[in-house]
Amino acid sequence: MGGEFRYEIGQNAYIKLILHSLKHSSSAVNGVLLGRVSGDANSVVEISDSVPLFHSQIGLLPPLEIALLMIEEYYSRQGLSIVGYFHANERFDDFELGGVAKNIGDHIYKYFPQAALLLLDNKKLGALSKGKDRSPVMQLYTRDASRTWKFIGSDGSSQLALKEPSANVVLQDYISTGKAENITDFDDHLDDISKDWLNSGLFN
Amino acid sequence: MMSKTEEEEVNRLENQVDNGGGGAWEYLSLVRKLKLRRPNKVVKHGLSILNDPTKRSALGPDEWTLYEQVATAAMDCQCTDVAKDCIKILQKKFPGSKRVGRLEAILLEAKGSWAEADKAYASLLEENPLDQVILKRRVAMAKAQGNVSLAIERLNQYLEIFMADPDAWRELAEIYISLQMYKQAAFCYEELILAQPMIPLYHLAYADVLYTLGGLENILTAKRYYASTIDLTGGKNVRALMGICLCTSAVAQLSKGRNKEDKDGSELHSLASTALEKNYKKISPDNLPLLTSTLKSLKLQS
Repeated sequence: MGGEFRYEIGQNAYIKLILHSLKHSSSAVNGVLLGRVSGDANSVVEISDSVPLFHSQIGLLPPLEIALLMIEEYYSRQGLSIVGYFHANERFDDFELGGVAKNIGDHIYKYFPQAALLLLDNKKLGALSKGKDRSPVMQLYTRDASRTWKFIGSDGSSQLALKEPSANVVLQDYISTGKAENITDFDDHLDDISKDWLNSGLFN
Repeated sequence: MMSKTEEEEVNRLENQVDNGGGGAWEYLSLVRKLKLRRPNKVVKHGLSILNDPTKRSALGPDEWTLYEQVATAAMDCQCTDVAKDCIKILQKKFPGSKRVGRLEAILLEAKGSWAEADKAYASLLEENPLDQVILKRRVAMAKAQGNVSLAIERLNQYLEIFMADPDAWRELAEIYISLQMYKQAAFCYEELILAQPMIPLYHLAYADVLYTLGGLENILTAKRYYASTIDLTGGKNVRALMGICLCTSAVAQLSKGRNKEDKDGSELHSLASTALEKNYKKISPDNLPLLTSTLKSLKLQS
C-alpha cells in the first residue's frame, strides 16, 4: 500500500531530525514525523514537522507512550497527525532497521497505513559537504501487504524528497554554526520540563 | 551521573571558556573528575593550553595529565593526528610506560585497525589480566564492529570479575534494552538496586523495564518502583510521576472484567496527577493544558 505514495519532507522537520542525530552522535536517536496526506488522489504524504524523541534507552515503553500521547494531543489541534517515525542507529555503518524501530513503526502503521519509516543514512550525511546532493540523507521504508518494512530505493526518482530543494544547504549552514546544540528532545523535557520539546525558537 | 549543581557548574564553566572568559583548566579538571564525555570541547580548550608554552609550564606536572586527557578526547572525536602528537610527547617523557602503551593501543582502535588493536590489547592483558580499562575497551571494540553478542559475552566475563562495577551493569542493561531483551535488562537493574538501593535512577529504570515487559504482575511491581523513585527524589521526578499514571491506567485495562478494583491505584493516580500539574504550573505553564488533557486521556483509557 505504501508503494504508490510519495513522501515530501519539509525543511524544518528534516533539519530538526538531522541536528538531533548530530547532537547525540554517540547514541541511537529517534523521532516522530507529523503531517498529512494531500495531493491528487491523496497520493502525497506531507511531512511538515517532526519531534525529536529520545537519545537513551530507546527501547523502553513508558517515555514513548507519554510522548506519543502528548504529541498527538498537541498536533491534532493543528490538523496534523503522526505519519511516520525516524531512527538513527548508534553506529556509523549500521544500515539495519532494528527491532525497536520496526515495533514503533508497526504501532504508527496501525493508525496510519501510509506511515514512513526513515532511517538516517550516515554515509550520505558525511558526504554532504562534498557534493550538491538535493536528496534527503535518509532511507525510506514503508510497510507493504507482506507486513514487513521494505526499503524503497534511494535513487534520483525517489519516493522521498525534500520539499525545499535548498534544505541540505541550510542544513550544512546550521551544522557549521553549531545549531545542533540547541535542539531539545523529549528526553530533555522529561528530565527538565522547562525545556521545550517543540523547539519553537529553534529557527528564529 | 552527576548532580544538578555539578551539571550547572560544568555548563557555566564551559560557557565561560567558550566565550573567552578563561578558566579552561578548571573546566577540564571538572570534566575529568566527573568523567564527562565532551570530546570536542576538551580538545579545543585543552589544545589552547598545551599549544601555549606559558600556559603549559604554568600547569607543572599536571601538563602530562592534560596530554593524556586531550589524547583520549581526540580519539573520541576522530582527531587521530592530535591524539598521535600527544601520545608521542608522552612517549618521550615516559618511555616504556604501560599507561602510555595503553593509549597507543586505544589509538589503533580509534583508527579502526581492529586486528592490530586486538593484538595490542591481548598483549597488555597478558601482563595485567585485570586491567579494567583494557577489558572495557575490548567490549567497546566488539560493539563498534557490530558484534553485539561478543560485546555481551565480554561484558558478562568482566562482570564475573568486577561484579561491583555499576557502570558495567548499566552498559549491559542498555545493550539488552536496545536488543529488546528486557528480562535480562531487568536482572541488571536488580543487581544495581541491590548494590546501591538509594539511587533513584536505578529504581526508575527498573520500573521502566518492567512496564515494558508488561503483564499485570510486572506493572504492579513497576508501580512500586515508580513510587520508591518518587520517595527518593522528594516527588520531583516527572518520569516517575508519569510512570504511576501509566501504571494505574494499564492495570485498570488489564484487570477489566476481573472485578479487581485497584482503589489504591486511583488515589495514587490522583496524587501523581496533582503533583505533575503543580510541577508544570510552576516550571512549564505553557504546557499545562496539554499535560492536563494528556492525563485525562490516560484516565479515560483505563
